[in-house]
Amino acid sequence: MELLASAWAYFLNRQDLMFEVLKEHVTLVLWATFFTVIIGVPVGIAISRTEKLRNTILGSVSILYTIPILALFGFLIPIMGIGSTPALIALVIYGLLPVIRNSCVGIIQVHPQLKESARGMGANDLQLLFKVEIPLAFPVIFAGIRTALVMNFSLATYAVFIGAGGMGRIIMQGIRTFNTGMMLAGILMVVITTVLLERMVGVVDNRIQKRYSLSD
Amino acid sequence: MTREISVELQKVSKLYGQDKVVNEVSLSVEKGEIFVLIGPSGCGKTTTLKMINQLIPHTSGNILVNGTDVAELDVVELRRSIGYVIQYIGLLPHLTIQENIAFVLKLTKQSKKLQKEKAEELIETVGLDFSHLNRYPRELSGGQQQRVGVARALAANPDILLMDEPFGAVDPLTREQLQNELLRLQESIQKTIVFVTHDMQEAFKVGNRIGILRQGELVTLGTPMEIVKSDDEFVKNFIGQGALFEVFDTIPVTRVLEKSVPLVRIHEKVDLQAEELKDWENVFVVEPDGNCKGYIPLSDLNKDGSFAAEQIEPLPKASSPDISVKLAVQEMLWGGRTWLPIVDESTGFKGIVLFRSCAALVAENGR
Repeated sequence: MELLASAWAYFLNRQDLMFEVLKEHVTLVLWATFFTVIIGVPVGIAISRTEKLRNTILGSVSILYTIPILALFGFLIPIMGIGSTPALIALVIYGLLPVIRNSCVGIIQVHPQLKESARGMGANDLQLLFKVEIPLAFPVIFAGIRTALVMNFSLATYAVFIGAGGMGRIIMQGIRTFNTGMMLAGILMVVITTVLLERMVGVVDNRIQKRYSLSD
Repeated sequence: MTREISVELQKVSKLYGQDKVVNEVSLSVEKGEIFVLIGPSGCGKTTTLKMINQLIPHTSGNILVNGTDVAELDVVELRRSIGYVIQYIGLLPHLTIQENIAFVLKLTKQSKKLQKEKAEELIETVGLDFSHLNRYPRELSGGQQQRVGVARALAANPDILLMDEPFGAVDPLTREQLQNELLRLQESIQKTIVFVTHDMQEAFKVGNRIGILRQGELVTLGTPMEIVKSDDEFVKNFIGQGALFEVFDTIPVTRVLEKSVPLVRIHEKVDLQAEELKDWENVFVVEPDGNCKGYIPLSDLNKDGSFAAEQIEPLPKASSPDISVKLAVQEMLWGGRTWLPIVDESTGFKGIVLFRSCAALVAENGR
């Protein structure tokens, strides 16, 4: 209880700092998710068309996904130095796997009969993609984006190691200065915001799944 | 009389590797007819159908749609000009019924207003309610979805409809209902329909002409009656025993309805010299509203053709115009008469069916 009280006291004292790191954190995650989607969805759709490319790309992204984030930072720093850019790139790399995989699977699993009937009615390739395949794959694609977003939000805590700020700053500083109140305040903030985000996106996701739910 | 040809296949083949799925099939579909393609699984009937709108490109031969070789047409334009209905209906689950019906119009970028109007018009054509327009496909029954499928195929007002086992996925009762509706609809829209099925009964019922395929080859082609009378062993086996009877069961009684029935009003005289009295034993007494009150045998009439109201004999048990020729014949046999009155529940007296006309159906097809 004493610990919690000290964390609360710290939070009240340094609200300005807390909101500053939250802002850094959210900004970093939103940009990372934005680029993940911009790159991942088209790539996922593209590899849904060709099986050869599919295995290569999914394989490579899976390997990247398994690299520990500290190792990835170690790899990025010599090339790009420190700051938000390498942090952003690291997060995008992690987010790519769920987004690419779900986009690809989502498109592939659109029922061939639906595609054929749309083609039979005279949909050209682009119309088939935008009016049939993407809308029908959307719930699956969105589930991938959801995973990437939540994962990036929690991973962004490490951005502090590469000088990109975020909520990790509070935790690290708390550890370094033996300030348990500060450390705990940072941890609680990360946990609570992540859970809240997960919940919020979950509600949106449920709505989407319901809206698009397939059944004959 | 030669009729206009809507779809023509000239020695069309489809090869998958060395496999000849469709082998030099030639046939022509006349404008306004329902042409049924039927055969056992893997006979190439669906492939043949899909080559018409080039969902499957043909390997050799020529396919002419309204006189133009499909090879010279843009496939997308070709498909937009042909209605397409499939077994699994293929309604898009993320679109409302209205958006589904207007899908082709959306593809061709027609105005929202036109899309809405067309959807409203077509939902009525296929016998569904306006209230369905804002629903999603999953909220409709299989039969209703199939009707929407037909409405959607009609949206761009195509001359030609391709139907690939359209009623294959619904229960037998609904299927029969949908078949009846298709026939009724066809009377007013007069489209050229190429219809694929594996159900012989369905083929006899909806088809003006039937082509039977086996292993990619067209074995026989003709009217249901010609098919029934075929000597080909494969055809005989395929259509099964008692097929002739089945044909009678699938011909609507309205087809043998007498065109001119001798009618007379009460208190009027029968013109005994009238040409239309020839071959008839009775005259039928109609009321001013067109309903039939009863009949009088010609032999009971007075010399001058007059008759008294008491002489009118009540009409025997009538049948609905929905029944088949087979049922009509049965009714006559049970009733011990050679004729049967047909009365529609809502619109009243439709006419008379004669036994000899039913029997003549057999002879008629010997032409």
